[in-house]
Amino acid sequence: MEKKIIKKLLIANRGEIAIRIIETAKKLGIETYVIKTAKEPSALYLKHADVICDFTQNTNELPEFLDVELIIKTAKEHKVDAIHPGYGFLAENPYFAQCCDDEGIIFIGPSADAIYKMGNKTIAKQLAIKHKVPLLEGSSGNVPSPKEALKIAEKIGYPVIIKAASGGGGRGMRIVEDASQVEKMFHLASNEAAKAFDDSSVFIEKYVRNPRHIEFQILGDKHGNIIHLGERECSIQRKHQKLIEESPSVALSEELRKIMGEQAINIAKSVKYCSVGTVEFLLDDDMNFYFMEMNTRIQVEHPVTETITGIDLIEQQIKMAQGDKLSIKQEDVQLNGWAIEYRINAEDVQANFSPFLGTIQHISFPKGKNVRVDTGVEDGSVITPYYDSMVAKLIVSGETREKAIANSLVAINKVKIKGVKTTIPFCKAVIENKDFQLGNLNTSFIDKKMDGIFNEDPDEKLMAAFFATMDYIKDEQMDEAAYVDFEKGRNITPWLIKRRIK
Amino acid sequence: MILKIKNKDKKSDNKYIALGLDKKKYEFLFKADNTVAVNKKKSDIRIEEDDDGFTYVVWESRRVPVELVEKNQNRYEVLVNGISYKFSIESPISYKRKKFLDKTQIQSKTESIIAPMPGKIIDVLVEPNTHVSQGEAILILEAMKMQNEILSTVTGKIKSINIRKDDNVMKDDVLIEIEK
Repeated sequence: MEKKIIKKLLIANRGEIAIRIIETAKKLGIETYVIKTAKEPSALYLKHADVICDFTQNTNELPEFLDVELIIKTAKEHKVDAIHPGYGFLAENPYFAQCCDDEGIIFIGPSADAIYKMGNKTIAKQLAIKHKVPLLEGSSGNVPSPKEALKIAEKIGYPVIIKAASGGGGRGMRIVEDASQVEKMFHLASNEAAKAFDDSSVFIEKYVRNPRHIEFQILGDKHGNIIHLGERECSIQRKHQKLIEESPSVALSEELRKIMGEQAINIAKSVKYCSVGTVEFLLDDDMNFYFMEMNTRIQVEHPVTETITGIDLIEQQIKMAQGDKLSIKQEDVQLNGWAIEYRINAEDVQANFSPFLGTIQHISFPKGKNVRVDTGVEDGSVITPYYDSMVAKLIVSGETREKAIANSLVAINKVKIKGVKTTIPFCKAVIENKDFQLGNLNTSFIDKKMDGIFNEDPDEKLMAAFFATMDYIKDEQMDEAAYVDFEKGRNITPWLIKRRIK
Repeated sequence: MILKIKNKDKKSDNKYIALGLDKKKYEFLFKADNTVAVNKKKSDIRIEEDDDGFTYVVWESRRVPVELVEKNQNRYEVLVNGISYKFSIESPISYKRKKFLDKTQIQSKTESIIAPMPGKIIDVLVEPNTHVSQGEAILILEAMKMQNEILSTVTGKIKSINIRKDDNVMKDDVLIEIEK
């Protein structure tokens, strides 16, 4: 196997993951290149990199981080050795991986072939069947029409789920409870799939009610060695989007971990996997597990695995990409303690998680040995409509799950953000939830186990009332003094500006 | 900036009522001797600011960050730990008037379905003058590349449809009106 040491690395991504990659690259002595866009010309990640490639004059309609030609051209101009795609964007685009390969640039990820096979749900399923990995009953391949969908649904029994063949991230998925919904849901899923992935094909499978989402972190090299780094439980989801993830999972015994881990490795082996990747399973109440899909990229939630294994996944990913042999053996992997990740997104939980755009006036995070914060924002950063709404990931650990949860409440109460609404109230409501504390998790947790997606605190409400009253009195006194200081009297907050612009 | 309340009239007390959206009432009495009573109980409550520009309310061993979201005359929206609370600030007289008006007011018979987020109308599933039940899907709104079904919040008759397929809508736009 040809080995080439990476000295210059182009990061085709933004936000916290760009900063995360830069951090490890610096440790390895690699020079980092990032892309500056007109949409976020003063983003925090730009300040961390060694070299900035300016795309602000780019007039292509295609978003910068999806522009294969432009990114490859830039990589060649700067003579970088490798490109790291991060997550999202081009991370799971086999064409991009192939282009890198053709140009002699190392793509930091698995082979284009592995991305293609695992990205196509139908092929991935066939591979799982071939390697005797348990699967949910469903259509063999894509379903062309609602009529065909009805036939299959009747055969496997309701509820069923209609999923986009090229799907991911919860888009293009619809659950069907009975025959009357088949046609409507088929069209919804198929339209959404066409929009999001340019591919309207969908398939059907049996829907498991209230399963846990358990995924295994895979690590493989180009020499045929593949190990797993334990599981993550990501059952706290909303519309199939993960919100809170943890490692390990309360549901897995040592024995089940071994069995599922082996099956995850089998899936990875079927495509000669040679990078970091994730094999996702559903786990039902009777501890039956079913293969769902393999994500061929670094995951948003990778820090929980790093925290309990002590392994830097980005470092491994870079080393595997340059052809290093895996230096960790399966028996070396130890899971120490417990780690939980909370995604702090700029969303309004009081308006059912609708995205909240605006400027972060001020932000500060707790520090400590049990806390890790991965963020791509600072004071003055703008949450734009162009990218996802993530503000930060708060990763809290402890020797046991109980301790990690106790530490979580302390940590999340110390996160201060002014200027935008975030999912912090939701995270708090989960931490305070009895079922969460007991580890009674499943993917319907938010709907079934929570009374509300945030908790109003009567004392806080009283204090808010006092603040409003004081402000009102202040204005009243100013009016009385017949003196209007427009600077001070009219409190123009970013909130107000935002509403006025609307 | 620490706000000091000067009594308008040194001899008398000043009372204000913050009325929540849920009609819950918070009474603050600023006494002539500069003490404050919260819901008729003497309390040590105050506002503080720190060097980072965060404002806090301190009360009964708790100190919480507060932020003014919006104010319009006597109506306020205040954010505490990421949750916003809405109030109207009333004097004892305006509070009585408001209570009286609320009693005499006739409840609105029209329910407005508003856009929960900005997005694009993918499909309108109902027609004017047709009957809908609570929880029934009435239109599909696409936002952040997700198609969301918007459900009717009431049972009634479609009074008006203010949007068409492929329209772009802003948050809080009235999409459909339903007669209860």
